[in-house]
Amino acid sequence: MKYADMAVPSRALHLWRYTPWARIHPTKVSEVPDANDVQFDVLEGGQLIEGAPRIVDGDDIGRVFLSELGGSAWTMETDGQSDIIHLQAVTSGENAVGHLHLVMNHDVAVVLHLTGQSEWAGLHITGTVNANVRAAFGLVNELSPKGKLLHCEDWTIGRDATLELAGLSIGGSRCKSDVRSRLTASGGALSQAISVHGSGQRHVDHHIEIHHDVHHTNSSLNIHAACDDRSHSIATGLLTIAEDANHCDASQVFKNLLLSERARAEAIPELEVLADEVSAAHGAASAPVDQDQLHYLLSRGLDDETAVALLIEGFMQSGFSSLENKALVDEIQNRLAMHLERELEG
Amino acid sequence: MSVTDEVLRVENLHVSVDDTPILNGMNLTINRGEIHVVMGRNGAGKSTLASVVMGHPDYEITSGSIFYMGTNIDEMTVFERARAGMFLSFQYPAVIPGVQVGTFLKKSVQSVHDEPLKGRAFRKELNAAMATLEMQKSVLSRYVNDGFSGGEKKRLEILQMLLLKPTLALLDETDSGLDIDALRIVAKGINSVAPQAGCLIITHYQRLLDHVQPHYVHVMIDGTIVRTGGPELALKLEEQGYDWLEEPQEVEA
Repeated sequence: MKYADMAVPSRALHLWRYTPWARIHPTKVSEVPDANDVQFDVLEGGQLIEGAPRIVDGDDIGRVFLSELGGSAWTMETDGQSDIIHLQAVTSGENAVGHLHLVMNHDVAVVLHLTGQSEWAGLHITGTVNANVRAAFGLVNELSPKGKLLHCEDWTIGRDATLELAGLSIGGSRCKSDVRSRLTASGGALSQAISVHGSGQRHVDHHIEIHHDVHHTNSSLNIHAACDDRSHSIATGLLTIAEDANHCDASQVFKNLLLSERARAEAIPELEVLADEVSAAHGAASAPVDQDQLHYLLSRGLDDETAVALLIEGFMQSGFSSLENKALVDEIQNRLAMHLERELEG
Repeated sequence: MSVTDEVLRVENLHVSVDDTPILNGMNLTINRGEIHVVMGRNGAGKSTLASVVMGHPDYEITSGSIFYMGTNIDEMTVFERARAGMFLSFQYPAVIPGVQVGTFLKKSVQSVHDEPLKGRAFRKELNAAMATLEMQKSVLSRYVNDGFSGGEKKRLEILQMLLLKPTLALLDETDSGLDIDALRIVAKGINSVAPQAGCLIITHYQRLLDHVQPHYVHVMIDGTIVRTGGPELALKLEEQGYDWLEEPQEVEA
């Protein structure tokens, strides 16, 4: 289906309730504007090859739109030479769009650092984790504070393969992320962790879909959002377990730390379980700073500002504690620590 | 006795929580180098005493005062008290996911001692303290109290005390939940701090006193001290319980 033939999605839909299409579209919803290429570069390890398959979900307006915008397209097939690969994606101009396809053939961590000054950025990442591979991918969104971002990801996880996905959202003013993973063969596992830092009027919307198509697949999702000022974080999760996909184990946990009276956070897990013999759990919690934790730190000589900053950092860092790829976690946690230090310094 | 020997003086302290009186005319003086033990039934106000001395905001002082090193500290914030040399070992230390023990210790020591940490000197001191408490170095990369056993939490409390070198150490049931070996190790930590500090140990059990020799044992009932004695008082309480203490008496340490 072409974008011009698609109706603007209704806000009644789960996916578009909190960030309507008009708010994330770069111009008028009827337009497909010109866009610059997102500039992809390898910072360490690996090699990019120009061109990428355009995987489009015919029903999803975001993916169709990103496809029609064009932009740069690159593929990376891991070659087993590095434990960690650092990629950079830089946006520029009014609008910028890029596509990245990752083929994970080896045990490796790939970190994509997204930066740039464009007013609007579109990023579509697709990836395959092949059989018996333990792969990890992290996206660090460090866009300029005024930028808008539409970000889609689509992953396929093969037999006995493991994918760890990390997302650190600390850039951009309005961000819509739609990340979908599909466990297509038995023994597949996904661990996904996302931390969001909301400040000013930042609006961050994560929609996470995890589909267990077959039996004996596992997944876990942890989203931690720390919201200050008038920021707004939304996390919607859709977990599906197909009929006959027995012996699956899935969990989703959403935690929000509310740091001001005007900060808002929504956490909406949704489960569609059609198999009988599965374990599927979800939980959500929103709360201000824990006063017992704060008192403990104060009693150790930290002043209020330092203590709260440490609690925020701890809250956000702990979102990644479910991930086992140390190289990925260290990189993401270092980026987070640097970001929070800069914020503290004003 | 010189003024500087007095570490803590609690004068006729009345404290409430949500309009419920907890401490009712508490008097206690602790000098440097003294170990005071407070015992009493559950609900007698022992932990409240420790918390209010440390400045917990949930407790309201309705009358009376607390003096630390000769200065009234009623208006001091919690972190100011910590920086002044007061330390509370919590009965239930907070769990702080995402904050590594090593990071936390550095920030705490830096805050209390108000000077930049010298890396090598700090590591040396930390290693020595951890060796005293027979702690594994791997604890430094774990999150504060996250997934810790009861004994590990109490050892971490004592480790902090050793590094912060307080002038007043308040230990709220630090011996609870410890096995015999852990009790001995924790006692070693207390004994190493005690000569330079005033210590207030809150406990239910005499067994800690096999390893830590107190100067005074106080019994609290209904928010005030009703009896003060030496270590023999703890032994008597262990044997006879609290029922024989029917008539409260005013005693100053």
